[in-house]
Amino acid sequence: MGAQDVASGECDGSGTAVQDVLAEVLSVEPLPLPYYALHLKVPAAFGVSAPGQFVMAMASPSELRLKPFLRRAFSVFDQEPLEGATNGERHIQLFGKIIGPGTSSLAECRPGDEVAVLGPLGVGFTLPSRGRAALVAGGVGSAALLLLQRALSERSVEHDFLYGGRSTVDLAASVTFAELARRSGGRYLPSTEDGSTGHHGLITEVLAEGLAESRYQHVFTCGPEGLMRAVARLAAAHDCPGQAALETAMGCGYGACLGCAVQMVNGEIQLCCKHGPVFDLAEVSW
Amino acid sequence: MSPNTQPGSTGGEVSSATDGRGALDLSVRLGDLELQNPILTASGTFGYGLEFAPLTTLEQFGGLVTKGLSLAPRPGNPPPRICETRGGMLNSIGLQNIGIHAFLDDVLPGLADYPSQVIVNLFGTAQADYVALAELVDAQAGIAAVELNVSCPNVKKGGIEFGHDPKMLSGLVSAVRSATSKPVIVKLSPNVTSPAELAKSARDAGADMISAINTIIGMSIDTWSRRPRLHTVRGGLSGPAIKPIALRIVYDVVNAVDCPVIAIGGVEDVDDVLEFLIAGASAVQVGTALFRDPQRGPSLVDELESRLAEQGYSSVSDIIGSIVLPTPRDEEHP
Ligand SMILES: Cc1cc2nc3c(=O)[nH]c(=O)nc-3n(C[C@H](O)[C@H](O)[C@H](O)COP(=O)(O)OP(=O)(O)OC[C@H]3O[C@@H](n4cnc5c(N)ncnc54)[C@H](O)[C@@H]3O)c2cc1C
Ligand SMILES: Cc1cc2nc3c(=O)[nH]c(=O)nc-3n(C[C@H](O)[C@H](O)[C@H](O)COP(=O)(O)O)c2cc1C
Ligand code: FES
Repeated sequence: MGAQDVASGECDGSGTAVQDVLAEVLSVEPLPLPYYALHLKVPAAFGVSAPGQFVMAMASPSELRLKPFLRRAFSVFDQEPLEGATNGERHIQLFGKIIGPGTSSLAECRPGDEVAVLGPLGVGFTLPSRGRAALVAGGVGSAALLLLQRALSERSVEHDFLYGGRSTVDLAASVTFAELARRSGGRYLPSTEDGSTGHHGLITEVLAEGLAESRYQHVFTCGPEGLMRAVARLAAAHDCPGQAALETAMGCGYGACLGCAVQMVNGEIQLCCKHGPVFDLAEVSW
Repeated sequence: MSPNTQPGSTGGEVSSATDGRGALDLSVRLGDLELQNPILTASGTFGYGLEFAPLTTLEQFGGLVTKGLSLAPRPGNPPPRICETRGGMLNSIGLQNIGIHAFLDDVLPGLADYPSQVIVNLFGTAQADYVALAELVDAQAGIAAVELNVSCPNVKKGGIEFGHDPKMLSGLVSAVRSATSKPVIVKLSPNVTSPAELAKSARDAGADMISAINTIIGMSIDTWSRRPRLHTVRGGLSGPAIKPIALRIVYDVVNAVDCPVIAIGGVEDVDDVLEFLIAGASAVQVGTALFRDPQRGPSLVDELESRLAEQGYSSVSDIIGSIVLPTPRDEEHP
């Protein structure tokens, strides 16, 4: 990990035009199981992702697999120019947790393999220009928050990184998150349910403390639905605005199947892949 | 790519083979509906077409079938609406759509720039809805045909009753028939004992074409939470998993009616396209395959062209219905 800073898209959260490209696997970086980072070389045509945007990825696209059959959604974890690139190719990273056929098929890639990557997709985070932010990650949900950290740093927005997991192993890539948070002037606040690292308990307990001290003017979160729901309640209770990157099941990722419905408070249905994946915490019907 | 074709040649235009055999004609004629090639999008898997112009080559499709349109916009079913199954997926979108008026005003004009024929997929909850929809599109020059969805498994009160009852179906089809001069395609449900019987009723009532199949009702359970993986519990199965069933139904329908048949169900590669054509379908719709690969339509057109050239065909129509059935002698040696 530890890619250097890159320009991270525009601040309204939408990025460059969508492309469907064949990426080359540079390496699969093993992290403590079940986590991994997939390093990909994408052609120059592949756009720069805004924080919160995602891709639809599929290993060995030339063969039809029965399982996984569809592509899987991954946040663009990191991006940077590729050293020694001859045609403007760039390096993007996906951060995965093996939970099923899709995430394991990408973890099993070898250097030189092809991965089909469609993106950048969706509307990412709307960036604040002042105030202090809490970034609340649950496990692999942290994948959506690194580009956000970089963008906040560029805008000199101080942020704390609150990283929750069952155990220390679930705080993968914590060094990178911690360093960026500290460099912004903020804190790195981990928690584990088994008490092996940081606060012994839930990460929302750490957030509640900060909110009670009026420490935060913005909350950003990505993780399991239960976590994001709890974050939404806490933020609402403290009148703190916030955004969540949702992980709704997706069929296509580009607005064609209408499968990724998100129920909104106002009764509307929105599409996670098109109107999101980042939504205002207060607008989602949790 | 076969050496006989130009990579990237557009499917519809007559493209030249270089070996002197002459041009390979991909165009097909389905009654009054002429398509530059037999590859169409399947309803509900490609929105209204225009949204995906940046992701594919729209002009390479023979036809674009819209998401199912109703008189008023519909919000669709609550989530979760889709889940993956082995070799396919279940969906219960619930016919979410922008409504016919928004389509005609905001989308249709933009589609005029493409040579692909636009087919509107229509559904309602009562016969009067279908008739009103057909009347609305009748005057629209940019619409080549209407496809009646009488087979969606995902709405409680949807077109499905029509698709299950031959009497109701023929009443509906003849009413729509008199409401529009456009070719009428009736899209059949596979969730009945004899789709061929329903095809006959539709044809006798004035349908110009039959398309088949819509999704097959299925179900899936998450074994961790023990919850159904769709909010509606049941949903429609699509993708390669359903192709053999679709092929059997298409073949039966082809043998039951004297009109063109459009095949739908699990088309993934050029062999799937050829199987349907050989069984007698005049065109095929590609659905779920587009989710994995939004460029699948144009690439199928290219692959079809090179495969037909490789096999020495000069026209796609020559392969339609060319199935070679077992002779009595073959049957003696099972
Ligand atoms: C916009 C977006 C961005 C995303 N970004 C990322 C990302 O960066 N990294 C990442 O890893 N994922 C990300 N996801 C999530 C990922 O796309 C999905 O989890 C995907 O379905 C995984 O595919 P799979 O085939 O591995 O597992 P699937 O088989 O599709 O799904 C896993 C299923 O397994 C079951 N399951 C397995 N283990 C357990 C368990 N211990 N407890 C309970 N249930 C269990 C559950 O039914 C669960 O639904 C993102 C999703 C979205 C929508
Ligand atoms: C997400 C999704 C939405 C669909 N929506 C419609 C629809 O609105 N109207 C319709 O007639 N068929 C609809 N269908 C059915 C398809 O048009 C097609 O008949 C079916 O998916 C089988 O083809 P396939 O295996 O190539 O996907 C839908 C299918 C899917 C997967
Ligand atoms: S995933 Fe297909 S519309 Fe969002």
